Amino acid sequence: MTVSAPASVAELQALVRDSERIHAIGNGSKTALHSGLNGATHADLTKLSGIIEYQPAEYTVTVRAGTPVRELSAALREQGQYLPCDPLLPESATIGGTVAGNLSGSRRYRYGGVRDFILGAAVVDGLGRAFRVGGKVVKNSAGFDLSKFLVGSLGAYAIMTELTFKVFPDVPRFRSLAFDYERLEDALAAIYFINQNIFELDALDLKPLENSWQLLTRLAGFDETLPQRLERFSAAVMSHTSLLKIAELDDSVTLWDPLADLRGAHLVKVALSPKQVPDFDRRITAAQRRYGVGGNVAWVATENLSQVDDALQACSLTGLCLRGAVESAVIGAPVENVLASRVKQVLDPHGKLV
Amino acid sequence: MNRAFIAALESIYPADRLLTREVELLPYESDALTAFSAVPGAVVLPVNEAEIIDTVRLCHEQAVPFVARGSGTSLSGGSLPIPDGLTIGLNRLNRIKKLDPEQRIAVVEPGVINLAITEAAQPYGLYYAPDPSSQSICTIGGNIAFNSGGAHCLKYGMTSNHVLGMKVVLADGALTQFGGESIEGVGIGPDLIGLFVGSEGLFGIALEITVRLMPQPELYRTVLAAYDDLGRAGDAVSMVVASGLLPGAMEIMDRLAIKAAEASVQAGYPDAEALLIVELEGEAPQVEAEFDQLRGIIDESGAFEVRVANDEEERTRIWKGRKGAFSAVGRLSPDYIVQDGVVPRSRLGEALVEISALKEKYQLEVANVFHAGDGNLHPLILYDGREDGALEKAEALAGEILALCIRLGGSITGEHGIGMEKRDYLPAMFSEEEIDIMQALRLAIDPKEIANRGKMFPGGEAPALAQHGMHPLERAGVISRE
Ligand SMILES: Cc1cc2nc3c(=O)[nH]c(=O)nc-3n(C[C@H](O)[C@H](O)[C@H](O)COP(=O)(O)OP(=O)(O)OC[C@H]3O[C@@H](n4cnc5c(N)ncnc54)[C@H](O)[C@@H]3O)c2cc1C
Repeated sequence: MTVSAPASVAELQALVRDSERIHAIGNGSKTALHSGLNGATHADLTKLSGIIEYQPAEYTVTVRAGTPVRELSAALREQGQYLPCDPLLPESATIGGTVAGNLSGSRRYRYGGVRDFILGAAVVDGLGRAFRVGGKVVKNSAGFDLSKFLVGSLGAYAIMTELTFKVFPDVPRFRSLAFDYERLEDALAAIYFINQNIFELDALDLKPLENSWQLLTRLAGFDETLPQRLERFSAAVMSHTSLLKIAELDDSVTLWDPLADLRGAHLVKVALSPKQVPDFDRRITAAQRRYGVGGNVAWVATENLSQVDDALQACSLTGLCLRGAVESAVIGAPVENVLASRVKQVLDPHGKLV
Repeated sequence: MNRAFIAALESIYPADRLLTREVELLPYESDALTAFSAVPGAVVLPVNEAEIIDTVRLCHEQAVPFVARGSGTSLSGGSLPIPDGLTIGLNRLNRIKKLDPEQRIAVVEPGVINLAITEAAQPYGLYYAPDPSSQSICTIGGNIAFNSGGAHCLKYGMTSNHVLGMKVVLADGALTQFGGESIEGVGIGPDLIGLFVGSEGLFGIALEITVRLMPQPELYRTVLAAYDDLGRAGDAVSMVVASGLLPGAMEIMDRLAIKAAEASVQAGYPDAEALLIVELEGEAPQVEAEFDQLRGIIDESGAFEVRVANDEEERTRIWKGRKGAFSAVGRLSPDYIVQDGVVPRSRLGEALVEISALKEKYQLEVANVFHAGDGNLHPLILYDGREDGALEKAEALAGEILALCIRLGGSITGEHGIGMEKRDYLPAMFSEEEIDIMQALRLAIDPKEIANRGKMFPGGEAPALAQHGMHPLERAGVISRE
């Protein structure tokens, strides 16, 4: 395997032109995305790093794709802002990898995911052309929005070199509550109750404990309003759902890292809806798992990937394997799509980008 | 229109849903960009998905251009007929197929009216967030084509951010589906929703759309501040942003717009050079605390008068003037052009100064009503089409405003789309190579260029120019624009 680390867009263009098959890689934090590539040249993007333009007053930031999420988050934090899509693996991922994998953490619940905060990008496609897609202002509806298309594209259509995001002011304080339920169905009923209510949670995750299910909830806001909000919220949930117990937890980064407790050779992301959770869950009881974003994302850690693959197939769901060596990172129901293949024809007709 | 093609349509549609007589076609001649009109060869009114698919496949086979049409409220000429082409009217596909309050989603047909979703969701304490001021008549299909927005898109985004799944028939007849009921949308694989939304009807027709619903905020706090200087209102917006507050809406109106709104809906606005509306929304305790902070900022911003809505009625009154401002300005003048360029928020002041200089240069009146929170201008250029050369002069001024937006690092359109109107400005925003790539993409999906031919891309023959002016429904006072 050849690894090349272009230091400029021009170098990346040349590398694409000169390679037969090429695979983009940031920090390599998602090992499964970089396995099984049969000798494709690896384009290491970590040299294309750094913040290009950050305008807190505009709520926009433009960075090179190889910029570590950690660095971007620190710069935003200094101005009291954050990227509300809450990149997963905040300590090890690059921002380009976050977009390519479409990987958000638990706080994505509040305002939206990667697709909701990307505004534009500069890319190099499979023909080695460098060009821009989307825009640089928070609102723009000119031209086809290929920047959103890049979200989840896994480097197979174009290699991102620069990304522009919308950012928001962050809130000063958090409080976290855990509600325990005997059965999964009870916990999901609590999610449905919350969904139809006025409470604006910062995050809402669900995880199995030994003999019960725990609903993790987080409120964010001003210090002085949180006690009252917490009380109203917990009283409402207590009186409308059949819970075992309630506890306030220490709000910490680890508590809201959906992957913190998940051990296993493989780690899989699944996008599903809350009502698909029960059927999927009963098929993967051997795996460690957590449901994020109000039951809209499953994180599954397992030694037995084929069991998860079977469960996904049975539920017509697709998964993205992030950890471990695999033949194909995409498992479960196939995602081939005629519209996507038309885009591939245009941006990478020779199938160079893998 | 070719006889064999009409015959083929007859095998899909009964006579009352296949319009070919000139009097029947007349209502479809224009959209809300009334300066343009064109007569379609025929109009069909499908009532189900299968008819749409058959129609698109037929058009592809026979290389007949078509345009999908929702309610025809496009302000950029997006739903203008293609001369002698087919117009596919989607208003009859107006069923909400599924409403699941527990998962906060709805599955709708493309002809469903934007506001109808909110009305259906209301009993569950939910609503559909994107709120174009045409929301009482425009369709979700049209919203998808332009990624439409509204006054309340600062926090939760535009149409694209609220679509979770779609079923579409591509221009070459291929049927496809992406996304679903998960809030993640497509989730794994490229975000095809993001690509399709905003494609201005050039990729094909959306047949079924899954949208997300949001819980209705517990409390709104709305403040109206009056300034004796437009720039000061702009500065106030920057101060709010710098404070770390995230309002649901921030809107500005200038003197002419205020005057017009006053004359038409008697909102009771103060006599001012500029009005700023800021609205906070969310959980009551948090909103109250944020409101204290906001009051402090507004008090320091040099406003000479500040009004606070104390109840829903007062809130409605504040918004009524704002939402009706455009139609109101329209009533001051026989004709007008509305633009919707975007500038970086911090350059709003600069943009407004330049627009007022352009006003002098062209000796035309321009009213400004805009989404200040995201820098989305809506300058309204007034002119009298009966005067020789007035339209051309107004268009030249509009063109200069677009150029200004690009120069300041913004966009030529924030939510109305390129359509027919701004297609010649696309090259000002994108390089030749970028446009070539978009064109190649279009050809890969629509090799015969039948879907909305003549829109978005520069060039092509322009249909007849008539007058700019109000949408017939606006004249009747049914809708108003932002
Ligand atoms: C008074 C007034 C106020 C307005 N206010 C706003 C505003 O605040 N914000 C804003 O963003 N816009 C606004 N608009 C513009 C307009 O209402 C929007 O662009 C709206 O989304 C158009 O919807 P429609 O159903 O009328 O679509 P149409 O005008 O019928 O069609 C618009 C485009 O959509 C395509 N299309 C329609 N249905 C489909 C489908 N199913 N699949 C694919 N393509 C389709 C058409 O081909 C066309 O290109 C306003 C317009 C008016 C007249």
